[in-house]
Amino acid sequence: MKHEVLGGADYGLLQITFEAPGERVVAESGALLAMDSEIEISTSARGGLLGAAKRKLLGGESIFQNTFTAKAAGQRLWLAPPVEGELKAIELQAGEVFYLQSGAYVAQLGEQLKLNTQWGGVKGFFSGVGLFLLKVEGPGTVFFGGYGALHPVVVDREGYTADTGHIVAFTSGLNYQVRTFGGMKGLFLSGEGLICDFQGHGTVYLQTRDPHLLADFLHPFRPVQSSNS
Amino acid sequence: MKFELQYRPSHALATVHLAPGETLRAEASSLVSMTRNLQVQTSFRGRAGSGILGSLKRGFLGGESFFTNTFTAVGQGGHVSLAPKLCGDMVVHELTPPEELFIQGSSYVAAPDSVALDTEWQGMKSFLSGESLFFLRAYGAGPVLLNAFGAIQPIDLDGELILDTGHLVAFTGGIQYEITKASRGWIDSFLSGEGFVLRVWGRGKLYVQTRNPQEYGRSLGKRLPARQA
Repeated sequence: MKHEVLGGADYGLLQITFEAPGERVVAESGALLAMDSEIEISTSARGGLLGAAKRKLLGGESIFQNTFTAKAAGQRLWLAPPVEGELKAIELQAGEVFYLQSGAYVAQLGEQLKLNTQWGGVKGFFSGVGLFLLKVEGPGTVFFGGYGALHPVVVDREGYTADTGHIVAFTSGLNYQVRTFGGMKGLFLSGEGLICDFQGHGTVYLQTRDPHLLADFLHPFRPVQSSNS
Repeated sequence: MKFELQYRPSHALATVHLAPGETLRAEASSLVSMTRNLQVQTSFRGRAGSGILGSLKRGFLGGESFFTNTFTAVGQGGHVSLAPKLCGDMVVHELTPPEELFIQGSSYVAAPDSVALDTEWQGMKSFLSGESLFFLRAYGAGPVLLNAFGAIQPIDLDGELILDTGHLVAFTGGIQYEITKASRGWIDSFLSGEGFVLRVWGRGKLYVQTRNPQEYGRSLGKRLPARQA
Protein backbone atom coordinates (compact mmCIF):
# COMPACT_ATOMS: atom_id res chain seq x y z
CA MET A 1 0.00 0.00 0.00
CA LYS A 2 1.29 3.45 -0.86
CA HIS A 3 0.13 6.72 0.62
CA GLU A 4 0.72 10.30 -0.38
CA VAL A 5 -0.39 13.56 1.22
CA LEU A 6 -1.51 16.07 -1.40
CA GLY A 7 -3.06 19.52 -1.29
CA GLY A 8 -0.52 21.57 0.69
CA ALA A 9 -1.03 23.43 3.94
CA ASP A 10 -4.48 24.78 3.13
CA TYR A 11 -6.42 21.82 1.78
CA GLY A 12 -4.70 18.56 2.69
CA LEU A 13 -5.81 15.38 0.96
CA LEU A 14 -4.72 11.77 1.51
CA GLN A 15 -4.30 9.48 -1.48
CA ILE A 16 -3.98 5.74 -0.82
CA THR A 17 -3.03 3.26 -3.53
CA PHE A 18 -3.64 -0.37 -2.61
CA GLU A 19 -1.06 -2.79 -3.98
CA ALA A 20 -2.68 -6.11 -3.10
CA PRO A 21 -6.18 -7.43 -2.45
CA GLY A 22 -7.06 -7.59 1.23
CA GLU A 23 -5.13 -4.47 2.22
CA ARG A 24 -7.09 -2.24 4.61
CA VAL A 25 -7.32 1.36 5.76
CA VAL A 26 -9.40 2.54 8.70
CA ALA A 27 -10.78 6.08 8.57
CA GLU A 28 -12.96 8.43 10.58
CA SER A 29 -16.51 8.28 9.31
CA GLY A 30 -17.11 11.15 6.91
CA ALA A 31 -13.52 11.25 5.65
CA LEU A 32 -14.24 9.55 2.30
CA LEU A 33 -13.79 11.82 -0.71
CA ALA A 34 -13.63 9.27 -3.55
CA MET A 35 -12.51 5.75 -4.32
CA ASP A 36 -12.22 3.21 -7.09
CA SER A 37 -15.06 0.71 -7.31
CA GLU A 38 -13.22 -2.44 -6.22
CA ILE A 39 -13.04 -1.33 -2.59
CA GLU A 40 -15.36 -2.62 0.10
CA ILE A 41 -16.52 -0.41 2.97
CA SER A 42 -17.49 -1.87 6.30
CA THR A 43 -18.62 0.21 9.23
CA SER A 44 -17.79 -0.80 12.75
CA ALA A 45 -17.57 0.51 16.26
CA ARG A 46 -13.88 -0.06 16.58
CA GLY A 47 -12.64 -1.28 19.92
CA GLY A 48 -16.12 -2.62 20.67
CA LEU A 49 -19.21 -0.52 21.23
CA LEU A 50 -18.18 0.45 24.75
CA GLY A 51 -14.71 1.57 23.72
CA ALA A 52 -16.17 3.50 20.82
CA ALA A 53 -18.78 5.17 23.02
CA LYS A 54 -16.07 6.21 25.45
CA ARG A 55 -14.07 7.69 22.61
CA LYS A 56 -17.14 9.52 21.33
CA LEU A 57 -17.89 10.97 24.76
CA LEU A 58 -14.36 11.83 25.74
CA GLY A 59 -12.51 12.30 22.51
CA GLY A 60 -15.19 13.85 20.35
CA GLU A 61 -14.51 11.54 17.42
CA SER A 62 -17.36 9.61 15.91
CA ILE A 63 -18.37 6.22 17.27
CA PHE A 64 -18.16 4.57 13.91
CA GLN A 65 -15.18 4.15 11.73
CA ASN A 66 -15.05 2.87 8.21
CA THR A 67 -12.72 0.14 7.05
CA PHE A 68 -11.82 0.22 3.37
CA THR A 69 -10.65 -3.13 2.03
CA ALA A 70 -9.20 -3.47 -1.46
CA LYS A 71 -10.56 -6.31 -3.57
CA ALA A 72 -7.98 -5.80 -6.29
CA ALA A 73 -4.51 -4.32 -6.70
CA GLY A 74 -4.11 -0.74 -7.90
CA GLN A 75 -7.30 0.54 -6.30
CA ARG A 76 -7.18 4.16 -5.11
CA LEU A 77 -8.84 5.87 -2.18
CA TRP A 78 -8.94 9.56 -1.30
CA LEU A 79 -9.66 10.79 2.23
CA ALA A 80 -10.00 14.36 3.53
CA PRO A 81 -10.41 16.00 6.95
CA PRO A 82 -13.57 18.03 7.62
CA VAL A 83 -12.13 21.54 7.92
CA GLU A 84 -9.82 23.52 5.69
CA GLY A 85 -6.24 22.90 6.64
CA GLU A 86 -3.19 20.73 6.50
CA LEU A 87 -2.98 16.94 6.74
CA LYS A 88 0.05 15.09 8.07
CA ALA A 89 1.19 11.50 8.39
CA ILE A 90 3.12 10.15 11.37
CA GLU A 91 4.78 6.74 11.17
CA LEU A 92 5.03 5.05 14.53
CA GLN A 93 7.42 2.24 15.44
CA ALA A 94 6.27 -0.65 17.62
CA GLY A 95 5.44 0.74 21.07
CA GLU A 96 5.87 4.37 19.97
CA VAL A 97 3.12 6.61 21.32
CA PHE A 98 1.54 9.71 19.76
CA TYR A 99 -1.20 11.92 21.24
CA LEU A 100 -3.93 13.53 19.15
CA GLN A 101 -6.39 16.24 20.12
CA SER A 102 -10.02 15.16 19.80
CA GLY A 103 -11.24 15.61 16.27
CA ALA A 104 -7.81 15.65 14.61
CA TYR A 105 -7.83 11.95 13.73
CA VAL A 106 -8.42 11.20 10.05
CA ALA A 107 -7.20 7.68 9.25
CA GLN A 108 -4.76 4.94 10.12
CA LEU A 109 -2.75 2.19 8.47
CA GLY A 110 -1.52 -0.90 10.21
CA GLU A 111 -3.47 -3.75 11.74
CA GLN A 112 -1.64 -3.48 15.05
CA LEU A 113 -2.09 0.25 15.61
CA LYS A 114 -3.88 0.89 18.92
CA LEU A 115 -6.23 3.79 19.57
CA ASN A 116 -7.37 4.76 23.08
CA THR A 117 -8.93 7.78 24.70
CA GLN A 118 -6.93 9.30 27.47
CA TRP A 119 -8.15 11.60 30.18
CA GLY A 120 -6.46 14.92 29.59
CA GLY A 121 -6.96 16.53 32.97
CA VAL A 122 -9.78 18.28 34.73
CA LYS A 123 -8.89 21.77 33.54
CA GLY A 124 -9.08 20.70 29.96
CA PHE A 125 -12.52 19.31 30.65
CA PHE A 126 -13.90 22.56 32.04
CA SER A 127 -12.66 24.70 29.20
CA GLY A 128 -14.69 22.98 26.55
CA VAL A 129 -11.66 23.23 24.34
CA GLY A 130 -10.27 20.51 26.47
CA LEU A 131 -7.35 18.28 26.22
CA PHE A 132 -9.10 15.06 25.54
CA LEU A 133 -6.54 13.02 23.85
CA LEU A 134 -6.48 10.04 21.62
CA LYS A 135 -3.50 7.91 22.51
CA VAL A 136 -2.17 6.17 19.41
CA GLU A 137 0.37 3.39 19.76
CA GLY A 138 2.42 1.89 16.94
CA PRO A 139 3.37 0.10 14.85
CA GLY A 140 1.52 1.84 12.06
CA THR A 141 0.79 5.17 10.43
CA VAL A 142 -1.73 7.72 11.63
CA PHE A 143 -3.04 10.65 9.57
CA PHE A 144 -4.28 13.78 11.27
CA GLY A 145 -5.59 17.17 10.25
CA GLY A 146 -5.97 20.65 11.70
CA TYR A 147 -7.65 23.98 11.04
CA GLY A 148 -5.07 25.94 9.06
CA ALA A 149 -1.47 24.87 8.75
CA LEU A 150 0.05 22.27 11.09
CA HIS A 151 3.01 24.00 12.68
CA PRO A 152 5.57 21.67 14.31
CA VAL A 153 7.52 22.95 17.31
CA VAL A 154 10.45 20.96 18.69
CA VAL A 155 10.43 21.11 22.48
CA ASP A 156 13.69 20.68 24.35
CA ARG A 157 14.73 21.11 27.96
CA GLU A 158 13.49 24.72 28.09
CA GLY A 159 9.88 23.61 27.61
CA TYR A 160 7.16 25.32 25.60
CA THR A 161 3.70 26.83 26.13
CA ALA A 162 0.74 26.66 23.74
CA ASP A 163 -2.87 27.80 23.74
CA THR A 164 -5.10 24.73 24.20
CA GLY A 165 -7.29 25.68 21.25
CA HIS A 166 -4.30 25.45 18.91
CA ILE A 167 -2.83 22.13 20.08
CA VAL A 168 -3.46 19.30 17.62
CA ALA A 169 -0.97 16.59 18.53
CA PHE A 170 2.27 15.83 20.32
CA THR A 171 4.78 13.04 20.54
CA SER A 172 5.54 10.94 23.59
CA GLY A 173 8.38 12.13 25.77
CA LEU A 174 6.47 15.26 26.74
CA ASN A 175 4.72 15.96 30.01
CA TYR A 176 2.02 18.58 29.94
CA GLN A 177 0.08 20.64 32.39
CA VAL A 178 -2.97 22.79 31.59
CA ARG A 179 -3.32 26.03 33.50
CA THR A 180 -5.27 29.25 33.36
CA PHE A 181 -3.46 32.01 31.59
CA GLY A 182 -2.21 34.72 33.90
CA GLY A 183 -4.28 33.43 36.80
CA MET A 184 -8.00 34.05 37.25
CA LYS A 185 -7.81 37.45 35.67
CA GLY A 186 -6.35 35.90 32.59
CA LEU A 187 -9.08 33.30 32.38
CA PHE A 188 -11.85 35.86 32.13
CA LEU A 189 -10.19 38.83 30.59
CA SER A 190 -7.42 37.82 28.28
CA GLY A 191 -9.48 35.83 25.82
CA GLU A 192 -7.07 32.93 25.97
CA GLY A 193 -8.43 31.06 28.93
CA LEU A 194 -6.27 28.00 29.07
CA ILE A 195 -2.76 27.24 28.03
CA CYS A 196 -0.68 24.11 28.21
CA ASP A 197 2.91 23.88 29.42
CA PHE A 198 5.02 21.14 27.87
CA GLN A 199 8.17 19.71 29.45
CA GLY A 200 10.53 17.09 28.12
CA HIS A 201 11.73 16.29 24.63
CA GLY A 202 9.43 15.92 21.67
CA THR A 203 7.39 17.71 19.02
CA VAL A 204 4.13 19.59 19.42
CA TYR A 205 1.91 20.20 16.37
CA LEU A 206 -0.12 23.42 16.45
CA GLN A 207 -2.96 24.38 14.13
CA THR A 208 -2.62 27.99 12.99
CA ARG A 209 -6.35 28.68 13.46
CA ASP A 210 -8.65 27.84 16.37
CA PRO A 211 -12.10 26.55 15.29
CA HIS A 212 -13.61 27.84 18.55
CA LEU A 213 -12.70 31.40 17.61
CA LEU A 214 -14.48 31.01 14.27
CA ALA A 215 -17.54 29.70 16.10
CA ASP A 216 -17.37 32.67 18.50
CA PHE A 217 -17.16 35.03 15.55
CA LEU A 218 -20.17 33.50 13.81
CA HIS A 219 -22.39 33.20 16.88
CA PRO A 220 -23.72 36.81 16.86
CA PHE A 221 -24.73 36.40 13.20
CA ARG A 222 -27.13 33.54 14.00
CA PRO A 223 -30.82 34.36 13.76
CA VAL A 224 -32.38 35.12 17.14
CA GLN A 225 -35.15 32.82 18.33
CA SER A 226 -38.38 34.70 19.01
CA SER A 227 -39.48 34.44 22.65
CA ASN A 228 -42.92 32.87 21.99
CA SER A 229 -41.69 29.89 19.98
CA MET B 1 12.49 42.20 17.51
CA LYS B 2 12.04 40.09 14.39
CA PHE B 3 8.75 39.11 12.76
CA GLU B 4 8.57 35.81 10.90
CA LEU B 5 5.46 35.14 8.81
CA GLN B 6 4.61 31.58 7.71
CA TYR B 7 1.73 29.80 5.99
CA ARG B 8 0.68 32.86 4.04
CA PRO B 9 -1.75 33.90 2.81
CA SER B 10 -4.63 31.66 3.92
CA HIS B 11 -3.62 30.63 7.43
CA ALA B 12 -0.77 32.96 8.29
CA LEU B 13 1.12 32.54 11.55
CA ALA B 14 3.37 35.29 12.92
CA THR B 15 6.27 34.34 15.15
CA VAL B 16 7.76 37.34 16.91
CA HIS B 17 11.31 36.81 18.15
CA LEU B 18 12.13 38.93 21.19
CA ALA B 19 15.60 39.80 22.44
CA PRO B 20 16.08 39.78 26.24
CA GLY B 21 14.06 42.62 27.77
CA GLU B 22 12.05 43.36 24.61
CA THR B 23 8.29 43.78 25.00
CA LEU B 24 5.44 43.05 22.60
CA ARG B 25 1.80 43.96 23.14
CA ALA B 26 -0.71 41.70 21.40
CA GLU B 27 -4.48 41.42 21.12
CA ALA B 28 -5.82 39.08 23.79
CA SER B 29 -7.19 36.33 21.58
CA SER B 30 -4.22 36.11 19.23
CA LEU B 31 -1.88 33.91 21.29
CA VAL B 32 -0.94 30.57 19.71
CA SER B 33 2.20 29.62 21.61
CA MET B 34 5.30 30.99 23.32
CA THR B 35 8.60 30.09 24.89
CA ARG B 36 8.61 29.53 28.64
CA ASN B 37 10.77 32.52 29.51
CA LEU B 38 8.19 35.13 28.57
CA GLN B 39 6.60 37.19 31.29
CA VAL B 40 2.96 37.87 30.47
CA GLN B 41 0.74 40.62 31.77
CA THR B 42 -2.94 41.06 30.92
CA SER B 43 -4.26 44.60 30.95
CA PHE B 44 -6.90 46.90 29.63
CA ARG B 45 -5.57 48.48 26.53
CA GLY B 46 -5.49 52.19 26.32
CA ARG B 47 -3.25 55.17 26.33
CA ALA B 48 -2.18 56.43 29.71
CA GLY B 49 -5.21 57.57 31.69
CA SER B 50 -7.89 56.20 29.39
CA GLY B 51 -8.22 53.07 31.55
CA ILE B 52 -11.23 50.82 31.52
CA LEU B 53 -13.54 53.27 29.80
CA GLY B 54 -11.18 53.71 26.89
CA SER B 55 -10.81 49.96 26.54
CA LEU B 56 -14.54 49.32 26.66
CA LYS B 57 -15.15 52.03 24.09
CA ARG B 58 -12.66 50.39 21.81
CA GLY B 59 -14.04 46.95 22.46
CA PHE B 60 -17.63 47.81 21.73
CA LEU B 61 -17.04 50.19 18.92
CA GLY B 62 -13.92 48.78 17.34
CA GLY B 63 -15.06 45.18 17.32
CA GLU B 64 -11.83 44.07 18.92
CA SER B 65 -11.03 42.66 22.31
CA PHE B 66 -10.77 44.91 25.33
CA PHE B 67 -7.58 43.44 26.53
CA THR B 68 -3.96 43.28 25.68
CA ASN B 69 -1.32 40.81 26.67
CA THR B 70 2.16 42.15 27.16
CA PHE B 71 4.96 39.66 26.53
CA THR B 72 8.45 40.40 27.80
CA ALA B 73 11.45 38.12 27.21
CA VAL B 74 13.23 37.51 30.50
CA GLY B 75 16.85 36.41 30.85
CA GLN B 76 17.29 35.30 27.27
CA GLY B 77 15.64 35.66 23.88
CA GLY B 78 12.28 34.05 23.24
CA HIS B 79 9.36 34.08 20.86
CA VAL B 80 5.59 34.35 20.80
CA SER B 81 3.43 33.03 17.95
CA LEU B 82 0.25 34.89 17.04
CA ALA B 83 -2.66 34.27 14.69
CA PRO B 84 -5.92 36.06 13.93
CA LYS B 85 -9.37 34.59 14.54
CA LEU B 86 -10.32 34.15 10.92
CA CYS B 87 -8.54 32.74 7.91
CA GLY B 88 -6.26 35.13 6.13
CA ASP B 89 -2.95 36.84 5.79
CA MET B 90 -0.86 39.01 8.07
CA VAL B 91 1.52 41.82 7.22
CA VAL B 92 4.05 43.96 9.10
CA HIS B 93 3.95 47.72 8.57
CA GLU B 94 7.10 49.58 9.70
CA LEU B 95 6.16 52.88 11.31
CA THR B 96 8.68 55.71 11.09
CA PRO B 97 7.93 59.05 12.77
CA PRO B 98 6.14 61.24 12.00
CA GLU B 99 4.03 58.77 10.00
CA GLU B 100 0.74 57.62 11.49
CA LEU B 101 -1.18 54.50 10.60
CA PHE B 102 -4.98 54.28 10.91
CA ILE B 103 -6.01 50.69 11.53
CA GLN B 104 -9.52 49.30 11.23
CA GLY B 105 -10.43 47.99 14.73
CA SER B 106 -10.24 44.23 14.20
CA SER B 107 -7.21 44.36 11.87
CA TYR B 108 -4.69 45.16 14.58
CA VAL B 109 -2.72 42.26 16.10
CA ALA B 110 0.44 43.42 17.84
CA ALA B 111 3.17 46.04 18.20
CA PRO B 112 6.12 46.76 20.49
CA ASP B 113 5.70 49.36 23.23
CA SER B 114 7.56 51.90 21.09
CA VAL B 115 4.32 52.19 19.08
CA ALA B 116 1.46 54.10 20.71
CA LEU B 117 -2.22 53.39 20.00
CA ASP B 118 -5.15 55.73 20.16
CA THR B 119 -8.82 55.51 19.17
CA GLU B 120 -10.43 57.63 16.49
CA TRP B 121 -14.13 58.36 16.72
CA GLN B 122 -15.91 58.09 13.40
CA GLY B 123 -19.22 59.73 14.25
CA MET B 124 -22.80 58.60 13.82
CA LYS B 125 -22.60 57.65 10.20
CA SER B 126 -20.43 54.64 10.89
CA PHE B 127 -23.04 53.40 13.34
CA LEU B 128 -25.81 53.63 10.77
CA SER B 129 -23.77 51.67 8.28
CA GLY B 130 -23.55 48.72 10.62
CA GLU B 131 -19.87 48.40 9.91
CA SER B 132 -17.44 48.62 12.76
CA LEU B 133 -15.67 51.67 11.50
CA PHE B 134 -13.45 52.38 14.39
CA PHE B 135 -9.86 53.17 13.78
CA LEU B 136 -6.87 52.71 15.96
CA ARG B 137 -4.33 55.42 15.33
CA ALA B 138 -0.81 54.02 15.63
CA TYR B 139 2.18 56.32 15.88
CA GLY B 140 5.76 56.16 17.04
CA ALA B 141 8.54 53.97 15.72
CA GLY B 142 8.49 50.25 15.09
CA PRO B 143 6.68 47.39 13.40
CA VAL B 144 2.88 46.98 13.55
CA LEU B 145 1.44 43.53 12.88
CA LEU B 146 -1.87 43.59 10.98
CA ASN B 147 -4.22 40.81 9.96
CA ALA B 148 -6.65 40.53 7.09
CA PHE B 149 -9.64 38.39 6.29
CA GLY B 150 -8.48 36.83 3.04
CA ALA B 151 -5.40 38.15 1.29
CA ILE B 152 -3.93 41.62 1.86
CA GLN B 153 -3.71 43.95 -1.11
CA PRO B 154 -1.54 47.06 -0.64
CA ILE B 155 -2.58 50.07 -2.72
CA ASP B 156 -0.40 53.13 -3.29
CA LEU B 157 -2.67 56.14 -3.35
CA ASP B 158 -2.04 59.45 -5.01
CA GLY B 159 -5.45 60.93 -5.65
CA GLU B 160 -8.86 59.65 -4.69
CA LEU B 161 -10.44 56.25 -4.17
CA ILE B 162 -13.80 54.86 -3.09
CA LEU B 163 -13.69 51.67 -1.07
CA ASP B 164 -16.03 49.44 0.85
CA THR B 165 -15.71 49.98 4.59
CA GLY B 166 -15.66 46.23 5.33
CA HIS B 167 -12.61 45.65 3.17
CA LEU B 168 -10.40 48.26 4.78
CA VAL B 169 -7.42 47.11 6.86
CA ALA B 170 -5.29 50.25 7.36
CA PHE B 171 -3.99 53.42 5.75
CA THR B 172 -1.18 55.85 6.39
CA GLY B 173 -1.71 59.32 7.84
CA GLY B 174 -1.26 61.30 4.65
CA ILE B 175 -4.64 60.03 3.55
CA GLN B 176 -7.86 61.87 4.39
CA TYR B 177 -11.14 60.04 4.60
CA GLU B 178 -14.86 60.51 4.91
CA ILE B 179 -17.75 58.12 5.18
CA THR B 180 -20.25 58.72 2.43
CA LYS B 181 -23.21 56.99 0.85
CA ALA B 182 -22.49 54.67 -2.04
CA SER B 183 -24.99 56.11 -4.50
CA ARG B 184 -26.29 59.60 -5.04
CA GLY B 185 -29.58 59.02 -3.28
CA TRP B 186 -30.20 57.46 0.13
CA ILE B 187 -32.59 54.86 -1.25
CA ASP B 188 -30.17 53.76 -3.97
CA SER B 189 -27.41 53.53 -1.39
CA PHE B 190 -29.52 51.29 0.75
CA LEU B 191 -30.71 49.07 -2.09
CA SER B 192 -27.27 48.67 -3.65
CA GLY B 193 -26.18 46.64 -0.65
CA GLU B 194 -23.15 48.86 -0.35
CA GLY B 195 -24.68 51.24 2.18
CA PHE B 196 -21.81 53.42 3.16
CA VAL B 197 -18.47 53.60 1.50
CA LEU B 198 -15.25 55.27 2.39
CA ARG B 199 -13.94 58.05 0.22
CA VAL B 200 -10.21 58.48 0.68
CA TRP B 201 -7.88 61.00 -0.86
CA GLY B 202 -4.31 62.19 -0.55
CA ARG B 203 -0.97 60.44 -0.77
CA GLY B 204 0.01 57.31 1.06
CA LYS B 205 -0.47 53.59 1.38
CA LEU B 206 -3.66 51.62 1.90
CA TYR B 207 -4.08 48.00 2.88
CA VAL B 208 -7.31 46.27 1.89
CA GLN B 209 -8.52 42.73 2.61
CA THR B 210 -10.00 40.60 -0.15
CA ARG B 211 -12.97 39.45 1.96
CA ASN B 212 -15.40 41.34 4.21
CA PRO B 213 -15.87 39.67 7.65
CA GLN B 214 -19.35 41.15 8.15
CA GLU B 215 -20.57 39.80 4.83
CA TYR B 216 -19.04 36.42 5.65
CA GLY B 217 -20.78 36.38 9.03
CA ARG B 218 -24.10 37.34 7.51
CA SER B 219 -23.91 34.76 4.73
CA LEU B 220 -23.13 31.91 7.15
CA GLY B 221 -25.06 33.13 10.16
CA LYS B 222 -28.45 32.95 8.50
CA ARG B 223 -27.83 29.26 7.77
CA LEU B 224 -27.15 28.44 11.42
CA PRO B 225 -29.82 27.44 13.92
CA ALA B 226 -31.39 30.30 15.85
CA ARG B 227 -29.84 31.29 19.16
CA GLN B 228 -31.54 32.47 22.32
CA ALA B 229 -31.90 36.23 22.48
